[in-house]
Amino acid sequence: MGTTLFLGFNLYAWITIVTVLGMFTTLLFTKLRTDLVFLAAIGVLFVTGVLDAKDAFSGFSSTSVIVIGVLFVVVAGLTHTGVLQWIVKHLLGQPNSYSKAVVRLMLPVAGLSSFLSNTTVVAMFVSIVKMWSKKLGIAPSKLLIPLSYASGMGGVCTLIGTPPNLIISGLYSDKTGETMNVLATTIPGLFCLLVGVLSIIAMRKLLPDRKAPESAFEATSEYTVELLVPSDNKYIGETLADAGLLHVRGGSLIEIYHFDDVPASISENEFLMGGDRLVYAGQIDEILELKKSHGLVSADHHIFSMSEVDKNRQLRTAFVTFGSSLIGKTIGGSTFEHDNNLTLVAVARSGQRINETPRQVVLQAGDTLLLDCPPHLNVNTDRLSSQLHFFDSDQVVNIGSKTFISALIMIAMVVLSALNIMPLLQCAFIAAAAMLVLRCCNAEQAMRAINWDILMVFAASVVLGLAIQKTGIAERLAMGILDICGTNPIVVMTAICFVGTFITEFISNTAAGAMFFPIMYEAAEKLGYDPFPFLIALMISVSSSFATPIGSPTHMLVYGPGGYRFSDFMRIGLLMNLIILAANILIVNIIYPLTPLQ
Amino acid sequence: MIALLEGRLDTAAASETEKAMSPLLDSKGRDVILDCTKLEYISSSGLRIFLSILKSAKSVGGRVYITGVSDEVSSVFVMTGFVNLFEFK
Repeated sequence: MGTTLFLGFNLYAWITIVTVLGMFTTLLFTKLRTDLVFLAAIGVLFVTGVLDAKDAFSGFSSTSVIVIGVLFVVVAGLTHTGVLQWIVKHLLGQPNSYSKAVVRLMLPVAGLSSFLSNTTVVAMFVSIVKMWSKKLGIAPSKLLIPLSYASGMGGVCTLIGTPPNLIISGLYSDKTGETMNVLATTIPGLFCLLVGVLSIIAMRKLLPDRKAPESAFEATSEYTVELLVPSDNKYIGETLADAGLLHVRGGSLIEIYHFDDVPASISENEFLMGGDRLVYAGQIDEILELKKSHGLVSADHHIFSMSEVDKNRQLRTAFVTFGSSLIGKTIGGSTFEHDNNLTLVAVARSGQRINETPRQVVLQAGDTLLLDCPPHLNVNTDRLSSQLHFFDSDQVVNIGSKTFISALIMIAMVVLSALNIMPLLQCAFIAAAAMLVLRCCNAEQAMRAINWDILMVFAASVVLGLAIQKTGIAERLAMGILDICGTNPIVVMTAICFVGTFITEFISNTAAGAMFFPIMYEAAEKLGYDPFPFLIALMISVSSSFATPIGSPTHMLVYGPGGYRFSDFMRIGLLMNLIILAANILIVNIIYPLTPLQ
Repeated sequence: MIALLEGRLDTAAASETEKAMSPLLDSKGRDVILDCTKLEYISSSGLRIFLSILKSAKSVGGRVYITGVSDEVSSVFVMTGFVNLFEFK
């Protein structure tokens, strides 16, 4: 390693610092793929000699990264056999107050998230919670942030519940040769969850009371729907009034464009022609009845005959994600529909009436789109998932014996690992194999469930953590923190967790975990204490990103459906960050008292 | 009654054309022939005029024929479904 020091860091350390800062700047300000940016950073560290080949690619053989990959298959088995759906259906009930509703929602979600991917759990619950909130007469915005928070807090309750836990525990066992128990974080995690649930109930006024955008598709006026008249429509040549298309049940015609794109007057004597585009405002479900009653279609190109329209196409709701390339554009002005074989039917925006044709609406993050999709649309392609998050699920699963079998496999995996009968990696491999052999999911579903992009990011995060440690950055930062915070271990633990909590709002939890691991470890050792409790506290803090919608993918899942604004997360999230931090430090020090190193 | 149409019957030309063709609205049961041999383009406004003539002719038992449509004009009739409303010669 280079020996010339500048501000206490050698050349390799500076290369690492510049690479890491450059990487996060790139991620914040460009739309480049996250895995590509991480891999490029690893490439820089390798080419400049900061890391040798063995270290640079060590992330790809890291046990924790492999466990995450294998767990994708286990979770696929659970998802495809309907375990999640069964739980969702039977758990929520009919509570009679907001407080009870929050408890009924947050505890099961946290329980599930402690074993399953947080994103999977939240995605599954979003639509159910929306319907449930309607039944309870509570605005979905009051329940969807708690849903997302619960999954984050539940995730930390086991090592397998969230990737940063696996990464940190993996790095810990690499370093010390000791394996963390899969339930090491359970008690601190549960305590933080309890504090979190009570805090949400106490701070409920900070959650917005907002009408959900998809009531969109139920409420009037805010939504516009565009329908096309095929060339063989039986009403062609009749006036709008005679055809019964001027005033329809649940809405009214607000614009009509003939085939030549000339807007026509909305009058009862206007003739209907093939190729006309009729734009209605009102209740979407009733307006869409016109498809059946009047033979109108949703299409982005001209339809000559109804026989061209696939009867099996289905309507699906999606939200424009942050960073989507559709933001600032109109669907009409892009090739999006053609590229993906989709048709935009309607657009909704929280709290605003959109007076334009759906295709002419300049889209914003969080806008709700109703799309006419082919029957078996794969919404998980890179191209589509980077732009839209599909809200509904087209997977219909049958609850049966497989549901029971897959749940049993999962429980056996956790128990065997928790009792140290077998290491987690072996348990995970056996569980994944069992899911396949017992046909809880097929090979294709299993392979599709493995999210390679995320695995790349995780592997690269591990390597970045290694670089931060090898170049002495971790040690210098740890020394710096000790200089500022003194030698009180609790103050140091709190300070690093505090920084970790806020950094993780902007970078992935896993990357934050991998990068803060060496700093926390060095700081604990320098103070002369066993790093274990420090790392448990770190695990909880890097998963406690409550204050921005980009802090966690689950926040983004509820952002659109809840009709939230960026500031909604900040209002309650900043306080939550501090409350959970305090709870975290308190409980970790009670459960794992600090022990001086021998 | 025969009307000869020439050039582009677009939105700009529609109101003048409508005036010029207004006698056809009173065909008194006689057949109307719309000669489109020299018609280069027809817009939605043009089709609206054609349709008004058809409706008024039909109401008094008359018929409307369209003759000599070019490929371009024909494609407009196909797309709008008007090909099924008129009789072509």
